[in-house]
Amino acid sequence: MRRWRSRTVTWQIALYALLIVLALIYISPFLIQISTSFKTDADAASNPVSLIPQTWSAAAYERLFLRSDFPLWFANSAVVTICVTLGRVFFCSLAGYALARLQFRGRGVIFAGVVAVMAVPAVVLLIPKFLVINQLGMYDSYAGMIVPLLVDAAGVFIMKNFFESIPVSVEEQARIDGAGSFRVFWSVVLPMARPALITIIILSFQGSWNELAHFIVSTQSPELTTLTKGVARLASGQLSQGTQYPLKLAAALIMTIPVAVLFFIFQRRIMNASEGAVKE
Amino acid sequence: MARSTARTIVGIGALATASALVLTGCGSGFSDSGGGEAGSGELTSSDDALTILIGSSGDAETDAVTEAVAAWSAESGIDADVVAASDLSQELSQGFAAGSPPDLFYLAPEALAGYASNGSLTPYGDLLSNKDDFYPSLVSNFTYEDEFYCAPKDFSTLGLIINTRLWEAAGLTDADIPTTWDELASVAQTLTADGVTGLAFGAEYQRVGAFMAQAGGSLVSEDGTEATADSPENLEALTFVKEQLASGTFGYATIDLGAGWGGEAFGKEQAAMVIEGNWITGAMENDFPAVEYIVAELPAGPAGQGTLQFTNCWGMAADSPNQEAALDLVEYLTSTEQVLAFSDAFGPMPPVESAADQWTSDNSELAAFLAAADYAQGVPTNDGIAAVISDFNAALENLKAADPQQILDTVQSNTEAVVG
Amino acid sequence: MTALATAPRRDRRPRSGLRRGETLAGWVFTLPVLVILGVFLLVPVLMALWVSFSDWSGRGSPFAPGVGFVGLENYAAITTDGGLPTRDFGTSLRNNAWYVLLVVPLQTALSLFLAVLVNRAVLRGRGVFRTAFYFPSVTSSVAITVLWLFLFSATGAVNEILSWVGINGPNWFNDPTGIVHNFLGAFGVTSGPDALTENGFLGVTFWNWLAGPSVAMTALIFMAVFTTSGTFMLLFIAALQNLGGDVEEAAMMDGANAWKRFWKVTLPQLRPTLFTVLTLGLIGCWQVFDQIYTGTQGAPGKTTVTPAYLSYSSAFLGQDWGQGAAIAFILFAIIVFFTIFQRWVLRERPVSRRRARQYEVRPTGRSMR
Repeated sequence: MRRWRSRTVTWQIALYALLIVLALIYISPFLIQISTSFKTDADAASNPVSLIPQTWSAAAYERLFLRSDFPLWFANSAVVTICVTLGRVFFCSLAGYALARLQFRGRGVIFAGVVAVMAVPAVVLLIPKFLVINQLGMYDSYAGMIVPLLVDAAGVFIMKNFFESIPVSVEEQARIDGAGSFRVFWSVVLPMARPALITIIILSFQGSWNELAHFIVSTQSPELTTLTKGVARLASGQLSQGTQYPLKLAAALIMTIPVAVLFFIFQRRIMNASEGAVKE
Repeated sequence: MARSTARTIVGIGALATASALVLTGCGSGFSDSGGGEAGSGELTSSDDALTILIGSSGDAETDAVTEAVAAWSAESGIDADVVAASDLSQELSQGFAAGSPPDLFYLAPEALAGYASNGSLTPYGDLLSNKDDFYPSLVSNFTYEDEFYCAPKDFSTLGLIINTRLWEAAGLTDADIPTTWDELASVAQTLTADGVTGLAFGAEYQRVGAFMAQAGGSLVSEDGTEATADSPENLEALTFVKEQLASGTFGYATIDLGAGWGGEAFGKEQAAMVIEGNWITGAMENDFPAVEYIVAELPAGPAGQGTLQFTNCWGMAADSPNQEAALDLVEYLTSTEQVLAFSDAFGPMPPVESAADQWTSDNSELAAFLAAADYAQGVPTNDGIAAVISDFNAALENLKAADPQQILDTVQSNTEAVVG
Repeated sequence: MTALATAPRRDRRPRSGLRRGETLAGWVFTLPVLVILGVFLLVPVLMALWVSFSDWSGRGSPFAPGVGFVGLENYAAITTDGGLPTRDFGTSLRNNAWYVLLVVPLQTALSLFLAVLVNRAVLRGRGVFRTAFYFPSVTSSVAITVLWLFLFSATGAVNEILSWVGINGPNWFNDPTGIVHNFLGAFGVTSGPDALTENGFLGVTFWNWLAGPSVAMTALIFMAVFTTSGTFMLLFIAALQNLGGDVEEAAMMDGANAWKRFWKVTLPQLRPTLFTVLTLGLIGCWQVFDQIYTGTQGAPGKTTVTPAYLSYSSAFLGQDWGQGAAIAFILFAIIVFFTIFQRWVLRERPVSRRRARQYEVRPTGRSMR
């Protein structure tokens, strides 16, 4: 019995040691990123691993915020992300409710369509999206950036699943009182859907904040550059031609912050949400 | 994933119907492209503001162009907006496809044929009042099917940039500035030391091509009708470069030295010499003001002196609603005074002969660049050659380990597909 | 609710008092989704299909009268003509195939491994480790690529760490040599037999098909494994928790038994999740674009060009819109093919019926998707 015990303990220690090493490997790139963003160019090149800059320098951040379009990129990303998130919450829950609850002709067909659309890989749509946005006269405008992202098939799917899990009885009373479908949806069912709505908010925030390809094909004006597009171009050598790692890493770092904050606030929920809605 | 194929197909059909309904409702975007295909002589005119899209090398260039255009606006009363592209070729092609291109834009000679042949450009060259002032070699770069399309903006040649500190530290003097390949190889070896490579340049035709020119080779014959990539001259050039790369006295700035480009390797003193063009002067002034250097002409190869010449023009969109104003702006931007101001601000050489004397006396230390104009070779301009060159560049990256003849054979067959 | 006006009026007679008007409401509620998905997913695909059969040169509308139908010409240019476009397409397929071949098994194995480890930690520790492993997955591919360019630069952190153990690291993102070729080169094999070098497929010799991912692509492979393993780990953790007691019990056993039990009992029960992870991984891996656009633009030596990036660059940079669209459709077909193939390979086999009955799992629905 004792032998059994000590072996288990050994295994436990080995398990934790392994986990800690792995966790360090996963986290260290981000720590290096933070420290490098405060280094000088020369320091970054000669001490790529050290976590403490030889001389602290905020030059990268000064350059980004005071002498580049970075604040504009940030603002654009924020505007797009907020609009997209609001739109997805509303449209996905509306459609999800209809598909889960309303009895109507064509429901099966619509649902099959939504499922089919989820299988179309986004990257195949680069050229097609440009063509259609252009033909609709939305090219190079906020409309072209936002409208195509307003709806997400996976979101509809999540909402539908959630509404199906709510007992029908909660709606019956409202219906007997003569409330119309929209009223039942808006004031009875939607307030109950908070957990699912938070899932949608997280997924669409993350999705539209991190989106790149769509913004490449839907805009060209510098005033409409988003963070992803701006930082991607920065990485491939804009602003100046040098390597400038502190500058690039600072830009990438700031761009990660909003998603990271969201991640830590809703940690538990994100983890649970992603089980159901990984689509990448 | 799709549950059952039948249901999926039905679903798609329903969506198609729904969206077709929507499209007929708001399909207005289809109608208004295509117009304004003006041949030379009939330019459009309106009160519209102009948009000028530039592929800027940095803040210095953006500021200089913005300032010049603003001065023109004040004079002419026509609004004009300068936009620095972050990816010029992508933004241009999206602009043309969207029917909303900028009125004026930087255009590289290798992109001319493609845009000219699909009608995106207005050939306005013959309408320029200062047409005869441009160097003929530049004009021919921007002539497509016997039409002079656009005014050269400026030009640059490649030279040998030498770090004077490292040069002297290695015990070299002015008399050692190389004039032949052998001398180049030997000074490169002398300069190569711990952490310093003798000569660095980008892993691309746009630098290595200078050696091909010195050996008497080229990718395409002078009249642009014949592929000459697999010539023995080119083979000799690549073999020479390959040997030097292998010995470590030459290095690719990006691959061997880990720098962003030649100028950075030079500025950080990772390389004692680089092959770069006029643009390096601006970068050195801004980023590495402490590094001292001189500019020499590239050494002669077996066939004499040779270098490459680069230029851009002011392209004008066929869809521009205000081409007359655009033409006026181009004349302003290519005036002797203005091109000298540009050169002063960010480095390239004036495209007009009337500015040559002034430029040389202002920039005596850069005289080697202008002197090289006499024998400089332009890059090929055939439609589709850009893809061939980028394929060639990919092969050159691996030159150290590859067979030069094999590389050239591939380039030859690619080039044959786009010339003639 | 302005959409009401444009809603198709297909309502039937009301079926019951309470269900009155549900047909109308149903269509109105789903209309925004239908319209947007239709206009920005379905119509574009049809338009691009036309472009892939046309000679549209990228000026004005692809439906203008001057644009001609060229049949399969664009498809032929990238598959059978043997010229530069064919070779580029072949190269991109080669690059991406190696990427898939390495990323999919690695990310699946690593995420399963992490899931099993995390699942065995006590409750409090579980959250911390789960967070650490999942965090890379929430960052944007652009930001992580920028970070990767730094870590794997010639004088970057990775080479620095390698130098501590005496390894002289490669110049990752500038090294176009294939790792299989490098491996063979270590044994003095630097050129293949004529049978491989003389013949080829899609303009790329078989010898070059076998080159392996370039060193640069290998860095991107590490990145993909790093950023996706966290997400897939969550899927596996959820599945493991659904298995319940079995696994808890396994954790109490010593290593050898747990190991055996994992292979014989746990893994077979994870089959649905395994299917999900492999399929999602496979689909994702054929869509590499952001990383290439941000990081390498296909360099060095075109060894990081992927079909997705090639489709973009042919159209938007090279003006070959027809070829770009054709590449996109072939890519689409590849993704659909592999999804179906995967499904077929992982179909339930009748072999272990007895064991299956013994350890039957409730299909969890969510992960079955």
